[in-house]
Amino acid sequence: MDHFQSKFVEEATELIVDLEQALLNLESNQNDKESIGLVFRVMHTLKGNSSMFGFDKIGEFTHHLETIYDFVRQGKMKLTDEIFNVTLKSVDHLSALLNDINLTDPVNKDNHVSITQQVLNIINLIGHNDLNTSSDFSGNDDDSYGLFEEASTYHIFFKPKENIFSNGTNPLFLIDELHGLGQVKAYPNLSSLPGLQQINISSSYIYWDIFLSTYKNANDISDVFIFVEDDCDLVITKLIEKNLFFNESFFQRIESLLKEKININLIDIQQIVLNTIDNTNDQVVFENVKEEKLLNVNSQTKEIRDIKDSSISSIRVSSFKIDEMMNLVSELVTSQARLSLLVEHYNIPELMAIAENMQKLSRQLRDNAFSISLIPLQSIVTRFQRLVRDLSHELKKDIEFITEGTETELDKTIIENLTDPIMHILRNSLDHGIEDAEVRTKTGKPAKGKIILSAFYSGAYVYIEVKDDGAGINPEIIREKAISKGLIAADASLTQKEIFDLVFQPGFSTAKVVTDVSGRGVGMDVVRRKISDIRGEVEIDSKIGHGTTITIKLPLTLSIIDGLLVLINDTYFILQLAAVKKIYSITHKEVQKAQRNMIILDGESIPFYYLRDEFEMGGTPFDVEQVIVVMYQDSPVGLIIDKVVGEYQAVIKPLGKHYKNQDMISGASILGDGTIALVTDTNKIIKKCSRE
Amino acid sequence: MNKSILIVDDSESIREVVSFTLENAGYSVLISNDGKDALKFLDGRKIDLIITDLHMPEMDGISLIKEVRRNPDYTPYTRTPILFLTTESQVEKKMEAKEAGATGWIVKPFVPAKLLEALNKVMR
Repeated sequence: MDHFQSKFVEEATELIVDLEQALLNLESNQNDKESIGLVFRVMHTLKGNSSMFGFDKIGEFTHHLETIYDFVRQGKMKLTDEIFNVTLKSVDHLSALLNDINLTDPVNKDNHVSITQQVLNIINLIGHNDLNTSSDFSGNDDDSYGLFEEASTYHIFFKPKENIFSNGTNPLFLIDELHGLGQVKAYPNLSSLPGLQQINISSSYIYWDIFLSTYKNANDISDVFIFVEDDCDLVITKLIEKNLFFNESFFQRIESLLKEKININLIDIQQIVLNTIDNTNDQVVFENVKEEKLLNVNSQTKEIRDIKDSSISSIRVSSFKIDEMMNLVSELVTSQARLSLLVEHYNIPELMAIAENMQKLSRQLRDNAFSISLIPLQSIVTRFQRLVRDLSHELKKDIEFITEGTETELDKTIIENLTDPIMHILRNSLDHGIEDAEVRTKTGKPAKGKIILSAFYSGAYVYIEVKDDGAGINPEIIREKAISKGLIAADASLTQKEIFDLVFQPGFSTAKVVTDVSGRGVGMDVVRRKISDIRGEVEIDSKIGHGTTITIKLPLTLSIIDGLLVLINDTYFILQLAAVKKIYSITHKEVQKAQRNMIILDGESIPFYYLRDEFEMGGTPFDVEQVIVVMYQDSPVGLIIDKVVGEYQAVIKPLGKHYKNQDMISGASILGDGTIALVTDTNKIIKKCSRE
Repeated sequence: MNKSILIVDDSESIREVVSFTLENAGYSVLISNDGKDALKFLDGRKIDLIITDLHMPEMDGISLIKEVRRNPDYTPYTRTPILFLTTESQVEKKMEAKEAGATGWIVKPFVPAKLLEALNKVMR
């Protein structure tokens, strides 16, 4: 049972997330029947399963919650802010309960009592006494299951009078109504239909033999016909206290009889009933044959296939296993590189073919393993929604939170490390960005603030933007502050971009009043650090009075990249292939002739950096060198290196701690022959070179 | 030939505990996570019993029972017994399932012995 319990905890954790999400959706769209239904269903599942696996407290607690939403669903109760507050608090409490079933933590215990009371208070608002229903969970043994009686089968002979249409009755509607009682088969009898010339379109000529299996009694059936009693011939006969609809041969016989005879009578039908029963079992006592027959027919009629099959389209795998697989794939890619190298050396055609195939397979395997470790941003969005909701209540600001592109997928590790920085950015936006409603109205903005979180792919990167329509940041204030804190010299000339960048400096906080919400001593510098830990970049842009946009740029994945392997002097470097635009050959003489670090390629003049010098590598330059053109801030920049080796799948290994104080080299990769290649970040290189 | 049972529940933990119980008792088990999904199994193969939850996304238990009982596509299963899992104490839900054509019900939470007892009764 332990295994099932841990499964339940896992599942319940997800259910709780779903529940929170559904509640937040519901709050922004209170009339959405679907959301109400979803909230109710999740609570219901949680209730049922928790008692099943011994989490009785959760079962009982969700039962009360469910009661509220059952009322809401039935329209007996209106959703209020209080209900949302209490339910969301309850959701948090459920998470706590899940980890502390027996309420050993006194805080949880107090919460349990107080929140349960709040929930019950809401229920009591409409005078429903819910206190005794906990007996639902005891699992009374005698009531643990039950079987219904079988339905009875009736025959209905229904012949409306010709003039039935004249009082506005459509006999077909009556037959439809019978469908509401149970299973129906209706055989129309067209024998009294006159020839086409004689038909009076306002007359009814058809009559029916109807078979109905239902749990209702004959009175309920005749009630259907109550308004046409005087306008029709109606005979209702109970054939048998069994559901003949379970019996295929019965209807086959009836149908063949209908083909032979124009009118069938009750005696015929009763004969068929008896015959059908007789044929499948010799006993005549109906009640006793019931269950025996059930199995007989089933096994006779159908070709038997017994395939053990499961249609579940997704499975749950522990993240540990995925990490391990990623590791193995990385190792495989490295070994594969060694193999390729060896093959080149020995030049055996068969071996070459195998090596090529290996390379293709390991590339596919790598891509596959990656896609497994990617999860959508959506998985953390609920937390943001909750934060915005709770904070906007606390700060008494009315804020609309919009999310876009949350299906964008990122590496699991990146997502995990992204939550805190984004939470912090959102907190800042809510607290300092969005103004009070009063101020907003005065400046001609809608009273309701807006924060948009959007994510999208671009090349090998994912961009996440948090945009608000708040007050924006005044670069002058930042400048002054930076000067007063000694971060920059008083006469430093900085671009607007560089000024905004100061916000990310350690120890920088612009909030005049340190509020409870943000400004707890953790500033944007922590955001930047956390994001660079996952090899991302963060930028800020703002316009006074219009709002602030914070852009986070993240690599798709952390451990393997498609790279371009190049050589400078005797050192290998790897550039991100996605960053490379074009490669040109150039003679060293041309490079030497170049003025102001500009060369002309394809008629276009672009700036370049000569990496041998920039990296201070020394050595003798090649006669013919290569220019790698990469994009830097939307314009092309050339990087000159000695030689391009080729495309390379690089498994990135971190550098040791001695190399922490630089960011041009983001990691290292071991080549097939054991030499080390340095993984570079072209953006950082260009940034650094341009500054010097 | 083993009796074959189709379990329909959107909750993985319930599916697991029911299938574990049934497999240990020698039944062969088919698993699906909602009503719509369950209908895919009704393709002519042998199914001796269907156990379904009532609240599920896509297609709930009541609609599933109605489909199995009323839709001519599933004629071979019109008489296959269907038990539904329920925590509801409300009579309405039970009546609704009954009218849809359910054979009986099992109350959650249940103990394995009781589940098997119910099955034996239905598939006798």
